[in-house]
Amino acid sequence: MSGSSTDPTADAGSDTGGDSPSDPAGEPQRISAVRDRLDRVEDPELARSIVELDYVDAIEVDGDRVEVRFTLPTAWCSPAFAWMMATDARDEVEGLDWADEARIELCDHMHGDEITTGVNARDTFGETFPDADGGVAEVRAAIADKARVSTQREAVDALLDAGVDPEQVVALDRSDVEVAGDEAHVDLGGLSVVVDADPVADYLDRVETSGHVTGPDDTLFLTPEGDPISAERLDVVQKRSRLASVNMGGQGAVCDALHRARHGPDGPDGSGASYVDQSGDGPSAYDGDVDEFTSTWTLSGDD
Amino acid sequence: MYEMDGEEIFVIDGHVHLWDAREENIIHEGGEQFLQCFYDYHTGFTPEEKQWDIDTYRHYGADKMTEDLFGNAAADMAIFQPTYLDDFYDEGFNTTEQNAELAEEYPERFVLNGSFDPRDGEEGLRYLEHLKEEYDIPGVKLYTAEWRGESKGWRLDSDEAFEFLEKCADLGIENINAHKGPTIRPLNRDAFDVKDIDDAASSFPELNFIVNHVGLPRLDDFCWIAAQEPNVYGGLAVASAMTTNRPRKFGEIMGELLYWLGEDRVLFGSDYALWNPDWLVDQVMNAELTDEQRDEYGVELDVETMKKVMGENVAELYDIDIEEKKRQFRDDDITERFDLGAHYGGDAGAAAD
Repeated sequence: MSGSSTDPTADAGSDTGGDSPSDPAGEPQRISAVRDRLDRVEDPELARSIVELDYVDAIEVDGDRVEVRFTLPTAWCSPAFAWMMATDARDEVEGLDWADEARIELCDHMHGDEITTGVNARDTFGETFPDADGGVAEVRAAIADKARVSTQREAVDALLDAGVDPEQVVALDRSDVEVAGDEAHVDLGGLSVVVDADPVADYLDRVETSGHVTGPDDTLFLTPEGDPISAERLDVVQKRSRLASVNMGGQGAVCDALHRARHGPDGPDGSGASYVDQSGDGPSAYDGDVDEFTSTWTLSGDD
Repeated sequence: MYEMDGEEIFVIDGHVHLWDAREENIIHEGGEQFLQCFYDYHTGFTPEEKQWDIDTYRHYGADKMTEDLFGNAAADMAIFQPTYLDDFYDEGFNTTEQNAELAEEYPERFVLNGSFDPRDGEEGLRYLEHLKEEYDIPGVKLYTAEWRGESKGWRLDSDEAFEFLEKCADLGIENINAHKGPTIRPLNRDAFDVKDIDDAASSFPELNFIVNHVGLPRLDDFCWIAAQEPNVYGGLAVASAMTTNRPRKFGEIMGELLYWLGEDRVLFGSDYALWNPDWLVDQVMNAELTDEQRDEYGVELDVETMKKVMGENVAELYDIDIEEKKRQFRDDDITERFDLGAHYGGDAGAAAD
């Protein structure tokens, strides 16, 4: 193993906020650094980390090469979502200064072979799945839009709680709100209301990235379709955005149950440890063969 | 029947199957994967002591099904929802003909739905006519994610599908049950998407559109569509199993459904044999909203609501006269086989435990 010969400035320059290993030359620290990177990869449907969701089966580090294996709650998880997680994982790991090559393997998935091959070959989604109707970008946009609606709810609630009327809320433009430190200042035509900065800043991040609210005169809050809201419809829009959050959590419950059914409460390897240092073990024996695929499944819940 | 606050609740399981996933019936690896995925659902949500082994799960047969549904009076009636999957299974996974084996033995207890696939064209239209003629089907179950050769699915708002919906309207097949579940192939006819229901429902106001699994994982889109289309209903299969390990989540989903659709458009279903009503009905009947959820949604899972959700709403769609059924069930074959006479004789709730 070549772990001892690596660049001691490992992970320097990353913005992980304190997740740099204290001894970057040591392999356990490198595995830990990889795990921290993977922690930023979200299941797009649940908006939760793949580490937190326990999808990651193994992290192997061999010098500057990293191998990550992950398994989704069901083999039927949308290939587009699986693709996003695999490419995000690859890009996050390769964001580590010392990691020159990341290999990502998606195990036990209907399209595990295609996704593993395509992601590691740097192919596009369209090259990997030529018969797909749309691209990953469209799916990402649709999901981002649900997140926009969800964060709007929090921001609007914060304003309503601070005593801003529905009429005033729907009339706000981008330029009426300013975030400064821990506070967001809302200008109501001379009268300024101060609320907690977090929900407002989260919302502004989303709508600026999505392009819904960019210029100073843009209406601040919008329907899920992107239109201005009438004051009497604000309550319905708030309830629709509540629904978006409930939906996300409901799917989380299903995914969690399927994951446990397949792998037991202790994770895919049955050892109770989610992250196994297996460097030197070589690649997984899984080769996409359907017999192995199903025999893995048959063990579901037993371990 | 169950007893809740001293009142009888007639239970119609709105979503059951009699399937065959024995290895000799599987002709494509997708068939094995499909069954294994179902089994993950089964073991993921079924209380441990109630779980089946995989061989039983592959093929439980008509006799076990009858006992599981009615043996302890968990359900009073059940609605068959076929899932053909002809590309995966030699004789089909769960066809109208397979379900008819049992439905014709106990016609008073079962309702038999058919199915169609718009990709079958003229032949499919003739098959639909045949199903109506042969079994007098009051509805169809549609599986829009089903593979057919190169095709990985279809949409309910396509011209081809509209031709079949038109035929349903002509034949008086009023209940259109659509499965909305996991995707099989990347983005192709994305089965997560419930949006095709919208146009179909507004174009065919004379038909009822029952969205199985309440559109999970697109509950938000589903509720918004259903709020605007009065002929859209939500089937609780899968959501109801969350009572096992996610009762708060179940309460939240029920809160949303009752808020957006109201208590007349939410239907119980076990999805047997994914889950068995013998324990599931108990759990759903005992589900409660938290105080917070009551405040948030302004709804209750009280006896009037549960009566509708567990039976009356399905009865309304399928023209079932519950009072007449109760009289009929005092001495029908099922009652005799499982000794349920006391149960239907006015001793309400005797078998509910």
